[in-house]
Amino acid sequence: MEKAQINLYQLFVLLVLFELSTILAPLGIAAKQAAWLSILIGMIGGLVLFLVYYRLYCYYPDVMPTEYMQILLGRFLGSVLAFLYILYFLYLAARVLRNFGEMLLILAYPVTPLFILNAGLVVVTVYTVRKGIEVLARTGELFAIVIFFLAASSLLLIVLTGLIKVTNLQPMMEVGMGKILETAFSETLMIPFGELIVFTMIFPYVNVNHSKKLRKAGLMAIGFSGIVLAFTMAINISVMGVSIVSRSPFPLLSTIRSIEIAGFLERLDVYFMMVLIIGGFFKFSIILYGAATGTADLFKIKETSRLIYPLGFIVLMFSLAMASSYPEHTYKILHSDAVLFTTSIPFLVVIPIMLLVIAFFKNR
Amino acid sequence: MKHKRSFFAFILISLTVVSGCWDKREMNELAFVSAFAVDLNEEGKYVGTFQIINPGNVAGGLQGGGGQNASITVYSAAGDNLLETEGHVSMKVSRDLYYAHTNLIIISEKVASEKGITELFDLFERAREFRTTTNVVLTRNSSAEEMLSVLTEKDKIPAEQIVNNLKGAEESQGEYQKITIDNVINSLITSGNEPLISAFSIKGEPKKGTKMENIQASQPEVRMEPNGLGVFKNGKLIDWLEGETARGTLWATDKVQATSLNITWKNKKDAIAYQVVRQKTKIAAQLKKDRPKISISVRAEGRIAEVSVSSDLTNPHTLAAIEKEVAKEIKEEIEKAIYHAQINKSDTFGFGDAIHRSHPDKWKKIKSEWNNEYFPSSDIEVKVEAFIRRTGLRTNSYLSDLEQ
Repeated sequence: MEKAQINLYQLFVLLVLFELSTILAPLGIAAKQAAWLSILIGMIGGLVLFLVYYRLYCYYPDVMPTEYMQILLGRFLGSVLAFLYILYFLYLAARVLRNFGEMLLILAYPVTPLFILNAGLVVVTVYTVRKGIEVLARTGELFAIVIFFLAASSLLLIVLTGLIKVTNLQPMMEVGMGKILETAFSETLMIPFGELIVFTMIFPYVNVNHSKKLRKAGLMAIGFSGIVLAFTMAINISVMGVSIVSRSPFPLLSTIRSIEIAGFLERLDVYFMMVLIIGGFFKFSIILYGAATGTADLFKIKETSRLIYPLGFIVLMFSLAMASSYPEHTYKILHSDAVLFTTSIPFLVVIPIMLLVIAFFKNR
Repeated sequence: MKHKRSFFAFILISLTVVSGCWDKREMNELAFVSAFAVDLNEEGKYVGTFQIINPGNVAGGLQGGGGQNASITVYSAAGDNLLETEGHVSMKVSRDLYYAHTNLIIISEKVASEKGITELFDLFERAREFRTTTNVVLTRNSSAEEMLSVLTEKDKIPAEQIVNNLKGAEESQGEYQKITIDNVINSLITSGNEPLISAFSIKGEPKKGTKMENIQASQPEVRMEPNGLGVFKNGKLIDWLEGETARGTLWATDKVQATSLNITWKNKKDAIAYQVVRQKTKIAAQLKKDRPKISISVRAEGRIAEVSVSSDLTNPHTLAAIEKEVAKEIKEEIEKAIYHAQINKSDTFGFGDAIHRSHPDKWKKIKSEWNNEYFPSSDIEVKVEAFIRRTGLRTNSYLSDLEQ
């Protein structure tokens, strides 16, 4: 564990940036017009998951999850589980990196090889993560302001262009409540809310005299970003209709592209690119940091920064190898039952709850 | 020290990696496509026509109006699909075709009525450079290639002039509407809402329109004019709407921005001209025993713009009577348009969509038969309220004094 401290506001900002980077994707569109509802339901599930992670943190506020797993499950089993979690974080990082590179490739760089784009982000991230969590958190504070202005001004522009047609959100319950819940629990709960498990690696760095304050900051961040995500999806659908949104890999881009004011405020694709790059950078950095600090803790390596280069390289290679095409990539993330039942559900839901139960009995 | 050196090496390597020259495209290597047109040739293949801007001849100002040469060059080629036409054209053009500034797509009457427009739009939606806010226009009585080749006098770029022309017609006449790729796709895929695309036709001999002499005259012999709204069914052009039918349709779909209409007063035809300033239409749909019942309510606000018969416009009772006449006139137009559409069996109003919103479950059963069975037999109730808010700089017309 490096000697670093971040404050509550910085934690809040990192959580929000982490969550909002998924704003670009068609979240929960399987629920059609009720996509926003399935995001909100997923958010409620996410709040519950966060409370699970938070309770675990309350039992062991000063050590990394990689260490309390060993306390809870015994040295051998705990180490194996911690190692599996590190692999899972590396997989998450590679997934985010791949998404980032693919988006840039589709939008702006049709002939550039994926390797180059991914390597670009890895280089920047490795540099930041090497500097530690404090630097990352301060960078986050700075960019949160940028994101805020982007969001506020684009919302204003969309409203001013008169693009919002509320009728596009009707009929709301076309797919039925069953499908909405299924979407919420198989998709939106896992991405982006379940992915917050990475923050269990960061909680020990938060400088807080009262752990309840951390809970408040976390719940607020998740609630805030969940509402923003649901609202954005509702705007996407009300601007373009459910059909176009469900056929777009990046609906927000099409929404922003339809802004046309007074014949000159138009073609604001750069908005989307900025959100993509800022969001991608923070999400990737946070996950990579979690993986690196976990590895250092598990293998008792004193200098975390030395680990970043090899880990960055592994993630880079993995991101290229994990899928042969973008459709395959998104299919694996969103629609593959195998991925859902072997990684998302056990790592994000089942194991944390199990650990919490064990911790509860151990600390009684 | 050792660390620093490796760090610098790292930065240097990053520089080559991050700067991203792979996709660079220089301005002087690009051919800006201002409009794209689709035709059908005798063999049933698509013919793509590209209107490409000649930048040197457009930039006016210091060079004295851009010189004597045409501001655009038009290329066309045939192909089995649209991408192939582009491939063939790009061999003839010395630069890379660049579509980010394309703001008009023209579809010829022949394509629309024979082959249908259903399969045309995928490329525009999928390609990165195209904007889905690009306008779509039909040709009427001419090929799309001819239309793209006509030079225009007001805007140097003909595509620009067509778009502005259409915008003007939409904002003042109420008989035309601008429609984008997004809108067309959305209405193609919903069975309860067929697209309505405005058409242009060429007045005069199209060949003459490609010469600079045409636009040097004060009365150009060849001009392009908006001419009707194309009605589609299952993606094929089946009919044209014009004049009052076109306006009636747009009234019902809440697309009229401003227009003027004449009413009969004191037995004189077209005696008072009423100018609409603001308009709002609401559609409510219900299903009663599987029979659709649609109610349309229109609310128009406007002013009196021209009077050719003496009448007391200071009297609110007179105004109320005129308002009633106006409402009757609008109602007739809408009913005429609906009757027309019911005969065509094509729901251009989005009534089916309204049913979809209010009865999503029942809609699933009726949507395949909507256009042929349910829409033509639906009960449609039209309610119109018209308001006269102002009468201009004079109250009564001078014609009233003349009469005394």
